[in-house]
Amino acid sequence: MRTYIIKRLLLCIPTLFGITLVTFLIIQLAPGSPVEMRLRALAGAGMGEEVTAEIIEQTKKLYGLDKPVLFNTTAFREKGIGGLFDARYWIWLRKVALLDFGDSYKDHRKVSEKILERVPVTLQLSVISIFLVYLFAIPIGVYSSVYHESGSDKVLTLLLFVLYSLPSFWVATMLIIFLGGGEYLNIFPIYGLSSEGAENMGAWAWLLDRLWHLVLPVGCLAYGSLAVISRYCRVGMLDTLRQDYIRTARAKGLSEKIVIFKHAFRNSLIPIVTLLGMLLPALLGGSIIIESIFSIPGMGQLAFEAILSRDYPVVMGIATISAILTLLGILLADILYAVVDPRISYE
Amino acid sequence: MIRRLGSEPDTLNSITATDYYEETVNRYVTETMLWRNYETLEIEPQIPCTWTESDDHLVYTFEFQPGILWHDGVELTADDVVYSFDKIMDPKVDCAHLRNYFKDIETVQKTGKYSFRVVWKKPYFRSLEMSGGIPLVPKHVFDDGADFNKNPAGRHPIGTGPYKFVSWTTGRKIVIERNERYYGKKPFWKRVVFKIIKDDPIALQIFKKEQLDMIGLRPFQWERQTASRAFQRKFNKVDFYLPAYSYLGWNMRREPFSDRRVRLAMTHMVDRKPILDKIFYGLGTIVTGPFYVKGPEYDRNIKPYPYDPRRAEELLSEAGWRDTDEDGWLDKEGEKFSFELLMPSGVAEYEQMATVLKEDLKTIGVDMGIRRLEWATFLRFVHEHKFDSYAAAWILAYVSDPYQLWHSSQAEKGSNYVGFVNGEADILIDKIRREFDGEKRRKMCYRFHEIIHDAQPYTFMFTSKSLMAYTKEIEGFRTYVIRPGYDIRQWRRAP
Amino acid sequence: MKQGYWHIVWRQFRKRRLAVAGLYLIVLLFLVAILAPFIAGNKPILIWSDDGLKTGVFMSDRELRDIVPRARCTIYPPIPYSPTQYDLEERLEPPSGKHLLGTDDRGRDIASRMVHGARISLSVGFVAVSIFVALGIVTGSFAGYYGGWLDALISRIIEVWLCFPTLFLILAALAVLPQSIYIIMVVIGLTGWTGVARLVRGEFLKLRPQDFVAASRAVGAGGGRIMFRHILPNALGPVLVSATFGVAAAILVESALSFLGFGVPPPTPSWGDTLSQARNYMDFAWWLALFPGMAIFVTITAYNLVGEGLRDSIDPRLTQ
Repeated sequence: MRTYIIKRLLLCIPTLFGITLVTFLIIQLAPGSPVEMRLRALAGAGMGEEVTAEIIEQTKKLYGLDKPVLFNTTAFREKGIGGLFDARYWIWLRKVALLDFGDSYKDHRKVSEKILERVPVTLQLSVISIFLVYLFAIPIGVYSSVYHESGSDKVLTLLLFVLYSLPSFWVATMLIIFLGGGEYLNIFPIYGLSSEGAENMGAWAWLLDRLWHLVLPVGCLAYGSLAVISRYCRVGMLDTLRQDYIRTARAKGLSEKIVIFKHAFRNSLIPIVTLLGMLLPALLGGSIIIESIFSIPGMGQLAFEAILSRDYPVVMGIATISAILTLLGILLADILYAVVDPRISYE
Repeated sequence: MIRRLGSEPDTLNSITATDYYEETVNRYVTETMLWRNYETLEIEPQIPCTWTESDDHLVYTFEFQPGILWHDGVELTADDVVYSFDKIMDPKVDCAHLRNYFKDIETVQKTGKYSFRVVWKKPYFRSLEMSGGIPLVPKHVFDDGADFNKNPAGRHPIGTGPYKFVSWTTGRKIVIERNERYYGKKPFWKRVVFKIIKDDPIALQIFKKEQLDMIGLRPFQWERQTASRAFQRKFNKVDFYLPAYSYLGWNMRREPFSDRRVRLAMTHMVDRKPILDKIFYGLGTIVTGPFYVKGPEYDRNIKPYPYDPRRAEELLSEAGWRDTDEDGWLDKEGEKFSFELLMPSGVAEYEQMATVLKEDLKTIGVDMGIRRLEWATFLRFVHEHKFDSYAAAWILAYVSDPYQLWHSSQAEKGSNYVGFVNGEADILIDKIRREFDGEKRRKMCYRFHEIIHDAQPYTFMFTSKSLMAYTKEIEGFRTYVIRPGYDIRQWRRAP
Repeated sequence: MKQGYWHIVWRQFRKRRLAVAGLYLIVLLFLVAILAPFIAGNKPILIWSDDGLKTGVFMSDRELRDIVPRARCTIYPPIPYSPTQYDLEERLEPPSGKHLLGTDDRGRDIASRMVHGARISLSVGFVAVSIFVALGIVTGSFAGYYGGWLDALISRIIEVWLCFPTLFLILAALAVLPQSIYIIMVVIGLTGWTGVARLVRGEFLKLRPQDFVAASRAVGAGGGRIMFRHILPNALGPVLVSATFGVAAAILVESALSFLGFGVPPPTPSWGDTLSQARNYMDFAWWLALFPGMAIFVTITAYNLVGEGLRDSIDPRLTQ
């Protein structure tokens, strides 16, 4: 097992390399360029004449866009092998190896600073919602599998599917209209994560205020996954509950509870574990929709806006971090497979 | 006072900033030498100064009042002005848009502690306005040897204006406070908080909850969501025009729109009146030319082409487009009349206009495809002239210079995206740029407006009204015809 | 023997009333989608003229202009509006006798847009899911069964693909390729297959060491046969759940894209597009939100019920 883990960790490096390379290429080659955006083209008439090529070159140089994307053949001819790698990707890679993600094109602040600003915000939302989802979904899934085909299971099923099928922006808007002030009830705030003047509250009051603000956005993030996780849990449980060894356990006279929780549950976790693997990157993913609606400055907004404005350094920064988390998550899931089901081995 | 920002500005460094949100925040924080008085529409000093203009209109000498302080207490001197200009021209500073704007300035030189001189390469009728419009940043703050673009003062601007910057909570709000040491008349409101709210419907809801003091409205919000009696008891609404217009641009470089008759036919097919009345609830006006409809250069006597499908069909037929194969679509030399309209995503009104136009064009046998693109891609396509037609809008200065959009030299790489080339227009444009007499220039602009109206490189659509609502607590709200259209320094709290 | 297997599955399926209800719904939806121009449109479905009985649905406007005035009798679809036909006088009208489900911000009939929108939503689900189930099952099973270097390779490819910024892919695709709803569907499909692959792989990892696999091998069955005839049916549980959620997710992604401004090209009718329009007029135009919302909900629930039912029926140990 240990050798397996080490092997996997080592494999992560070339994988990461591949991911960043492909992402870098796609981003840089997609139409639209940050230089054009800076020139405010198409916005203001009367701003002056055609932009001289010189000025465009200056801006490109500023952003490092004057170098070729992958291989610099002209420099290669002049300076040999060293020059070949004088290209955007390698320059970026070198800096990232030193944990320097560069500066954003938009405001020239460090990418790492911008990301770190938003991480706590997104974490609050995602950690709480993931926790809540699993807290409720697993018992529901187990219940569903044990009592499956019963009346209550059918009702629950229907309810969960209804919840799942509602698009998040629609639910968010409905909640805001009905519970957030406006024409109807005004129970919850709809803007941001803290009220005005929250900095001046006592610790307890601040916490309550923060939780109050979190209710709606977390709710919107979580409700959809409830159905998904509980269905997977149910399926896993059903698969296991029908196995022969369960019948044996029952025949042995063990109580139903022990049968379910000690024997069946553990083995039904395979699909859940798979999903857990996806959790790690989801922690920092953020949802652009929820964040825009509730004006929460999280990672989702950062990524979306960076893409729209072709802020390459930020996009690459987020993509790299997300890739690392995903790889770790998958590795974790693979390890957990073996833990959960001792019959699985990688040898 | 609590206001809304539709999005977070990238930076508050007035030289490197490119977005409108920075302008909104910095409008009363930073100042320039000259500005245009909202009411008289004349150029006058913002920072108290006097100036002289050389007879050849190439040299402008400014002298300003001593004792004007930056917000950190240091005095404003001509060094700051020269420094600001040098930075704009510095290739390492990320302000291509400004560099381009000021590129005809030869030099800015200090002539005394409180005086400086701006020298132009060639005479230009807007030279005075532009010389006085150089954004000013404090040298003693920025000149520390480090990268100008990254200077933390970009998150903490220092200006000379009636408000000074207090704080910026990323993603949430920006706060400015009254400058108690302001040399001029101090505004009434002590604090202005800009809350960053991206989502329009939410912003309106927050406004109704009285957590915002003023807000801009979209047409349907104005008409349907702010009309109740309850609303009117608590809030006032105002509307006003700002220099801008929306249009459909036709690519004149190739078929089918290289033929004037086809372009004219398209204009006849856009039923602008019902679009304005229904989609925009009548909150705007149809325009016919490239100048601000409320400005001095717009010829009000030129009437818009009416909606006339019969005439459109005639014109198209003259241009060779007829339904020879009876399939319901016009064709010419075997090609069906089919084209694509590009538009940026996110503007509901364009989409509405486009779908209406598509249906209308179907009735005379023209097939229009709608291609909605995200902004960066849209820019790229238009820049590279890879379009048949596109929908967009221009924001104008009060007094505008047609060179950028309409001169043939700008058709290759400039903003003349549709490829408009007209000898007489070129001559007129050059003359306009050098004409310092307002009356003569106006006449030339009228003639220019006529030429454009005849050639129809664009189908001009509307200048829409800006719409705002504000709480009844605010007293003294007056509207103007130039940006921003209102002046918060005049407002007081209602008794 | 294969015929017998599905026959058994069907018999099991039929016993589950919820699932059967779901199936009927889906069939109904497919019918609506296929027959859309006959249900809603401004071209007559039947024209009885001197030339005989014809349908006007596929004719051009010009042909209709000729034939209709001369006809003795014309029958129009029950919803007599085309989904793109607009009327600026009737904007944002609530449901009424004239427009059963109301109108949108351009005066287009919502009922008609719902009917035609079914085509989009159903195909989105179908195309996207087919892609990702096919890709996912194949890659996941190979990875999980063979293990070793094949697993390592496939897993790495999956990881690379997973880490892709999907939004970017969509934007880039929309920019470069001609704008079409099919491109969006394919892209959604291509971005989702990794999840299924991982699930399938997980199941194969679990099932491979089991006795029945060793038994098959002892009898001489080859790898492919074991994978697809023996293991896969047992692994299908999570795959089916994932496929049914996949359809749902694809439909929801389409509506989210419309909300963000990148969805179907106008004026294509789609449920997501109407729903996102609803956002702006939420406080009074409830019909813009309710009907597409219900349509989406019904479709997704139907798919999920069928998927669940199928999953339950396939499980050989669930024979009651």
